[in-house]
Amino acid sequence: MRLKRWLLFAPLLLTVFLLQSYFWVPTYEHQATGNPKRLVTYIQGSSGDAKVLNPILNADSASSNIVGHVFEGLLDLDADLNLRGRLATEWAISEKAYLFVSASNRFPDGTEVTGTQLINRIRAALKEKSFSTLAKNIKDIQVLPPEKLTQKISMTEKGEDGKPKRGEVEISFNMPARVVFSLHQVDQDFFTQLMPVIGDRYLENFPYDQHLNLPEGIQPEIETQIHAQLADLFPVAEHNPIIDFQLRKGVRFHDGHEFDVGDVKFTYEAIMNPKNLSPRTSDFEPIKFVKVLDTHRVRVVYKRLFSPAINAWMMGILPEHLLNAEAMQQEMEKRELSDAARAAFGMRDSQFNRAPVGSGSYQFVEWQSDEFIHLTRFEQYWEGPAEYHEFFMRIIPDLFTQEVEFHAGALDDYGAQPHQVSRYREDAQYQNFSSLGFGYSYIGYNNRRPLFADPEVRKALGMAINVGDFIKYLLYGEGERITGPYPKNTQWYDPSVPPLPYDPEGAKAILMSLGWTLNADGWLEKDGKVFEFNLITNNGNPIRKNIMTIAQNAWKKIGVKCNTQVFEWAVFLKDFVNTAQFDAVVLGWSMGVDPDLFQLWHSSEAGPQQLNFVGYNNPKSDDLIVRIRQEYDVKRQREMTHQLHQQIHEDQPYTFLYAPLGTKVLDKKIVLVQRDEDGNETYEKIYPTKSGNIEFYFNKWRKLEMTPDF
Amino acid sequence: MNMNAVNSLSPQLDAEKLPPPETPWQEFVRVYKKDRMAIVSSIVLAILVVVGISGKVFTEWVVVFDSEVVRLPDKFLPPLSAPSVDVVPEEDLPILSLYVFGTDELGRDVFARMLQGSFVSLSIGFVAVGISLVVGLFLGGLAGFFGNIKLLKIMTVDTLIMRFTDVMLCIPTFFLILTVVALLPPSIYNIMIVIGLFGWMGTCRFVRAEILALRQQDFVVAAEALGLPKSRIIFRHLIPNAIAPVLVSTTIGVATAILTESALSFLGFGVQPPYATWGNILNDGRGFIFDAPWLFVIPGMAIFVVVLAFNLVGEGLREALNPKLRRR
Amino acid sequence: MLAYIGRNLLLRVVLLFIVSVLIHGLIHLAPGEPSAVDPSNPRMKPEDIAKIRAAFHLDDPLYLQYGYWVRDLVQGELKSFKDNQPVLGKIWRRFLNSLPLFICSTLIVWTLAFPVGIQAAIRRGAVFDRSSTFVAYALISFPGFFLSYIAILGVVEIFQVPVIGMRTFGMEGAAGSFRFMDRVWHLVIPSLLAALGGIAVLSRYVRSQMLEVVSQDYVRTARAKGLPNDTVIYRHALRNALIPFITMFGLLIPGLVGGSVIFETIFAWPGLGLLGYEAILSRDFPVILTLNVFGAMLTLIGTLVSDVLYGIADPRIRLE
Repeated sequence: MRLKRWLLFAPLLLTVFLLQSYFWVPTYEHQATGNPKRLVTYIQGSSGDAKVLNPILNADSASSNIVGHVFEGLLDLDADLNLRGRLATEWAISEKAYLFVSASNRFPDGTEVTGTQLINRIRAALKEKSFSTLAKNIKDIQVLPPEKLTQKISMTEKGEDGKPKRGEVEISFNMPARVVFSLHQVDQDFFTQLMPVIGDRYLENFPYDQHLNLPEGIQPEIETQIHAQLADLFPVAEHNPIIDFQLRKGVRFHDGHEFDVGDVKFTYEAIMNPKNLSPRTSDFEPIKFVKVLDTHRVRVVYKRLFSPAINAWMMGILPEHLLNAEAMQQEMEKRELSDAARAAFGMRDSQFNRAPVGSGSYQFVEWQSDEFIHLTRFEQYWEGPAEYHEFFMRIIPDLFTQEVEFHAGALDDYGAQPHQVSRYREDAQYQNFSSLGFGYSYIGYNNRRPLFADPEVRKALGMAINVGDFIKYLLYGEGERITGPYPKNTQWYDPSVPPLPYDPEGAKAILMSLGWTLNADGWLEKDGKVFEFNLITNNGNPIRKNIMTIAQNAWKKIGVKCNTQVFEWAVFLKDFVNTAQFDAVVLGWSMGVDPDLFQLWHSSEAGPQQLNFVGYNNPKSDDLIVRIRQEYDVKRQREMTHQLHQQIHEDQPYTFLYAPLGTKVLDKKIVLVQRDEDGNETYEKIYPTKSGNIEFYFNKWRKLEMTPDF
Repeated sequence: MNMNAVNSLSPQLDAEKLPPPETPWQEFVRVYKKDRMAIVSSIVLAILVVVGISGKVFTEWVVVFDSEVVRLPDKFLPPLSAPSVDVVPEEDLPILSLYVFGTDELGRDVFARMLQGSFVSLSIGFVAVGISLVVGLFLGGLAGFFGNIKLLKIMTVDTLIMRFTDVMLCIPTFFLILTVVALLPPSIYNIMIVIGLFGWMGTCRFVRAEILALRQQDFVVAAEALGLPKSRIIFRHLIPNAIAPVLVSTTIGVATAILTESALSFLGFGVQPPYATWGNILNDGRGFIFDAPWLFVIPGMAIFVVVLAFNLVGEGLREALNPKLRRR
Repeated sequence: MLAYIGRNLLLRVVLLFIVSVLIHGLIHLAPGEPSAVDPSNPRMKPEDIAKIRAAFHLDDPLYLQYGYWVRDLVQGELKSFKDNQPVLGKIWRRFLNSLPLFICSTLIVWTLAFPVGIQAAIRRGAVFDRSSTFVAYALISFPGFFLSYIAILGVVEIFQVPVIGMRTFGMEGAAGSFRFMDRVWHLVIPSLLAALGGIAVLSRYVRSQMLEVVSQDYVRTARAKGLPNDTVIYRHALRNALIPFITMFGLLIPGLVGGSVIFETIFAWPGLGLLGYEAILSRDFPVILTLNVFGAMLTLIGTLVSDVLYGIADPRIRLE
């Protein structure tokens, strides 16, 4: 029977064919040893694919990782988290301060204000001894003649359907004569120090109405909106911080094109171009204009005092010649797009984002979606080529398979979990590192809720949780206790603030003293109401889920009833956090290196969709937050951040839990290669920088054939 | 069989020498009893139901096994180990001072969690299948019995329902469940409802087919000719006869629903705490395969045994209820 | 026949339209925003979010959004929210990745299920029948990822070869035959796991179909004639028992999109399932919608193919 035979043979044949393929596949052993190229190839496992390989557009960590290798910014952070020049070799910060000649005002002695009077009085005053520090900072004083400015102002108007609609109005403003001071250093108190000369109330009561020309037939509501903005748009006293960058000469992009000042200006303009929908606009929004001085010198002038603004220049610089209007036009032609698509075509649509060209240490080779991204080292990198020749990011969504591949040697690096790290620690084949990063976890209480309005209550809740045990058992020591809002590895963090003690009895005593009593069921009760609330978090984060369970358990022991719920991220944000419809949340922040906490903690940022969703409100803190972001002197900044840290610790709007340690497990064969001038190699053990960055010297890493003895 | 034996022994019934003809039920029982796999599986399921109910009773109403107590020092203890008495406060000790199934990463008693999960997992299975059964029976019955009523003169009820079924069948089911579950808040009810609402199409189709076939049969034609009320025909004649395949698909449906829940858990869209299900215990455990394999193996095997039991019972029912297969 | 196909095509286009409207409504009414509109990103201000929403037409009425989707799809310029890449190109590349996995697992299902099912039917009630029933049900009673993990651990620990991904990394320089076989090997485990469900269901179906046919009169007649058992089974019974399976060819096609999310996630296989899963996570509406509609389209084509095949294979059925 032919059919019968086929029915038996077919499965047999198929099985044999499929299984024999096993003999063609190299074993892990063979892959690792029989292949010298493997030693100069670094393969990193990532659970998610990159989205956009463009420094001004990316927002996810996988993209940032690749972009960080392919692109380079003007600046970056050195081993101690201070700024360091990359594409810029030097930079200098100065200031121009402007003051209206406010003709309607009078000097303290009653005489009228005029331009010449103002400048003469200031010049005279600066010669006095009491003004000597101020005088030292002033490079130059001049008077600018009056001028007429036209400007577009954004406003919201009522649309036809009654919903608010955003729009713009063009107004013209007759700028009065101004005195301009060139300062050596930025000084946020500059005008305050001038007060004895110009009068304490000089900055108030400027008659904006007389200087304003509105277009015909404007609605009165919009007019009030415009008036409200005038003092911010045309302040009587204005600080314009200035950064002058000297760019590195002879740097080339991966395609050989030389980097110059045009690329810097282009990158800034690309970010501000509304068509590109860059998520980085707010970092660059304080910039007034970027001015080219010569091919390798550029001046950035800011609208107002905002000291963290310089950090934005760590972002990678785009090659202008590949992305300017002309290049975009060519791409549209090549892709034969329809007119509708052309009209909407922006940098986001460009194929550049899938095959980027930058000036960083690695250049792009290939990207297979959800499979891998391949980079190769850039031989002409200005700092010399990296030790690893090839760099791969492999996308492996499942953490278990990642670990299996790492174990087998097919991955050099993956995001090891704390419990895995503790296992590798005992394995002689691996070296592992733990160091502080920029993140921390917390339980945030909705400060608006009457239940949590009292700082003492929040303190008691914090005291009931044994964070030490949590770090010991659940993080296997891969975490550090924290007490305040700054990353522990930065100088802004005040290490002298003591953490809350673990003291459930003390916590109970505090609550009892506030009028809570234990009821028959063992719950705390006041005015007939049980101390009960919901604690929520997002799903997909097992550690947060564990924090929740542990907090619930701990609070149960002091008689506080807590119900826990987990929501999908989008729902969690939309229905609970953004609308402040929650009692308490378990969350974490990933902070930046700058000391600006405005968005997280300032009381003006507590509205819907804003980040101070716990509704923290303390005028003392508000004042400090604003002064910190306007201060350009690091030492003074540090004093203020320590004060702010202490203040927030006292108020306990969050229970600050811990900062997880960044961990990395690597094969011991991977070492740091140092070369002397003759090209001789010496090897060192890899070490994290003081600030906790493990990959800081990545360009000097390489894998050796034998495990070295250190 | 036993009844027959008794009957033939009793002198009063001498007149009836032949045993009475088998009722369908007796016939079913006779065939089913021969299937040893099905019998064992039925026993497993019976035990499971008891476990499920006691899970509800002993972990929530009368807390004998507390599934929520966190004992960090006792984390990752293997099955059958004793708690460390000196660190764990006395009121937190598990019953009998023994972790039968070990502890998880928070030191919770896995046995208590499995017990609690058994009720939730089973209820997900039953409720989801119940929903799909109700929808499927209703729509299938409607299409089968009132199929030729015209709606608005353009299409019949049958066409409408069957086209709608087609629409639902068109959509890749698991994918759609995933889409819906991801977009809705992941409450336990939503998951039950979604699994149920995307599982009725099969039931609907064969209920309709069965009823259409039955309506051609003589006894239904006779009943209609006699002018019996429609409800009587439906409930007395059609449904009992169409119930056999429904029963089979229900049993297997419960198995599928339990598996679907665990698959959703894997992708992070399963039932969320505070509910423990076998699916999410298994999913939590997979991160610790090398550290605490029992957290993965115990729920995995539990799901396996239960799903297998449901499947085998379904298979046994199919064999026993299929008259064509039975004859030989 | 042609008229039948034509009429059915029309009907199916209408169905497709309804399906797309349903799914469109579903994903837009559900909570959550596309990940580009990330309200938790501290860098984004409400104005920025408003701009992005406007660029994605998210504030327009639903029917308009549907209109935009259809327009862009027809023009082939539909863009993903996530990375602005053309959706059709994305789906096509993933489709090509999913295809080998699908073909391989289908081959396994069909070649294994028939012999097993037939043997089980012939030896009904015997040890082979019982054990194959048990094994078939046992294999589909494991949660898919449980079995996958065990399989991966087993292969990696015992055989020391890679199983994850579509190919072994770093084999770019190897000879063509090695690279081909390497790809085949990477197919084996995931497709075998994906095939388990199919083997169980199909072999049970073959078995019951065979039992049904074997009890028919013509088979009895053939036996009565004294024909050898094999001839009866394989020539007379099997041919007729096969007919319903022809229709199943068509119904297989949709399996390409849906069923493999878990296996693709575990085996890091960049196929359609993974694409869809990630699109759902980042609320990439154009991709979710297009992919679901693509799946529905495959189903509809599949049922049409199966109807037509049925008409050709079974002379008793005429398509009108």
